[in-house]
Amino acid sequence: MTAEIIVVTSGKGGVGKTTTSASLATGLAMAGKKVAVIDFDVGLRNLDLIMGCERRVVYDFVNVVHGEATLKQSLIKDKRHDNLYVLAASQTRDKDALTQEGVEKVLDGLSEDGFDYVVCDSPAGIEKGAHLAMYFADHAVVVVNPEVSSVRDSDRILGLLASKTRRAERGDGAIKQHLLLTRYSPVRVANGDMLSVKDVEDILGINVVGVIPESEQVLAASNSGVPVILDENSQAGQAYHDTVARILGEERALRFLDVPKKGFLQRVFGG
Amino acid sequence: MTAALDATDACDLRFGQVGIANVRIKRVDAAALCEELERRVRSAPQLFARSAVVLDLSHLLNLPDDGAVDALLEAVRSAGMLPVGLAYGTSETEALARRMGLPLIAKFRAAYEPASGAIAPPVAPEPAAAPASTPAREAPAADPAPERAQGSLHHDGTVRSGQQIYARDRDLVVTGTVANGAEVIADGDIHVYGGLRGRAMAGAQGSADARIFVHDFRAELVAIAGHYRVFEQIPKDLEGQSVRCWLEGEKLLLARL
Repeated sequence: MTAEIIVVTSGKGGVGKTTTSASLATGLAMAGKKVAVIDFDVGLRNLDLIMGCERRVVYDFVNVVHGEATLKQSLIKDKRHDNLYVLAASQTRDKDALTQEGVEKVLDGLSEDGFDYVVCDSPAGIEKGAHLAMYFADHAVVVVNPEVSSVRDSDRILGLLASKTRRAERGDGAIKQHLLLTRYSPVRVANGDMLSVKDVEDILGINVVGVIPESEQVLAASNSGVPVILDENSQAGQAYHDTVARILGEERALRFLDVPKKGFLQRVFGG
Repeated sequence: MTAALDATDACDLRFGQVGIANVRIKRVDAAALCEELERRVRSAPQLFARSAVVLDLSHLLNLPDDGAVDALLEAVRSAGMLPVGLAYGTSETEALARRMGLPLIAKFRAAYEPASGAIAPPVAPEPAAAPASTPAREAPAADPAPERAQGSLHHDGTVRSGQQIYARDRDLVVTGTVANGAEVIADGDIHVYGGLRGRAMAGAQGSADARIFVHDFRAELVAIAGHYRVFEQIPKDLEGQSVRCWLEGEKLLLARL
């Protein structure tokens, strides 16, 4: 039994890769899977903050890659889910500290330890860190914001996923590509300020696996170190739940795409 | 495989664009060539002395033998220029370059017109993104320079931003969309059955009768035989329409299908 490797990538920075990695990993763990989530953003580590385990990092990904610590020592068990582990990036090194053999060794080690899913949180860009994060992947979640520069960068990433990965090089069949639209604001789409789901699907030629609405709770959750998927009351949290279910093969309709109708009191008092 | 990723790579390998003079040979006469080039070097030594040049043999009716080419190269050298390779022509040129241990410099618009030795055609402007080399070089065909001999090159699905597809000596058929920032190039015609949002360059070796057909037109640039048009704004009457593109004389024309 080998672990399914999912890379969360985008090309562009600030679109929600780490937020998505944290929620995706947590969601898969809530579905009963044994999950590890790895921060590939060496030098700019964030995932530990979003997962709320920044004070428990002793050994990191680079230590394991260099054989300075074992996988067991470095994996941080999530405080809420027993079957969820975090492998933090090193803040003091740079991306050249990762090697392809080292990453392969870590991923093989996780497979041997019986992990079902490994979520790789890719750094922005298309340089070495991003390349290594996607190289061994079976699935790719391409995070895209509904604006033109993000869509362009995602297009580039989709091209790289189809050519510069182990599956592509070996001809093992294509990586499963999932497009995740984040920071979606139905109001701004209605006003014509933002690309719609259909625009993005048309330009990129693939369908979305989920649409995460722009939500204040995402920032609040990040700052408090709780993946937003755990906030059952937020639309973003619910949308991430739907997304995880779809990645696991369930069919669910897209939600939160329409402009919310104002209630009677809001119409009277404004707001 | 891993060597390319190792932080301690010995070098960076990149393709770039460099200016390089092209010496188009109209007749095989080493002495005359030397004399003519010497005159150029004398008139503008800053520009021509020790400048890198490419020998273009494509305007000769028959490719000279190895000895004659050696003499031509020596003539260029003694005139004070430095020959660095042969310009891309036919598969014979390719074989010749291999025998002489010289690189073949591929151009976007290599003017291969075997019979028209008299007048050099006007140099067409080359789009900035002309490929610096011939991607995906195939084995040379046995038949010398059959234009569009091998049927067409088919690409199923989307051409993503940053990707480049080149159909050498033939037509190119893309069934998906060519994204912004992607490039499709063919020596023959180009057909795009999805949207064209990137660049399409047909007749890349100078064939002026090449055409481009697009199902859903939103191109950044189209070019035929080096004549190109950039679309900062897509004309309203063409946007999203099925469009064909052809060359009439020096003019690049577009019309709805």
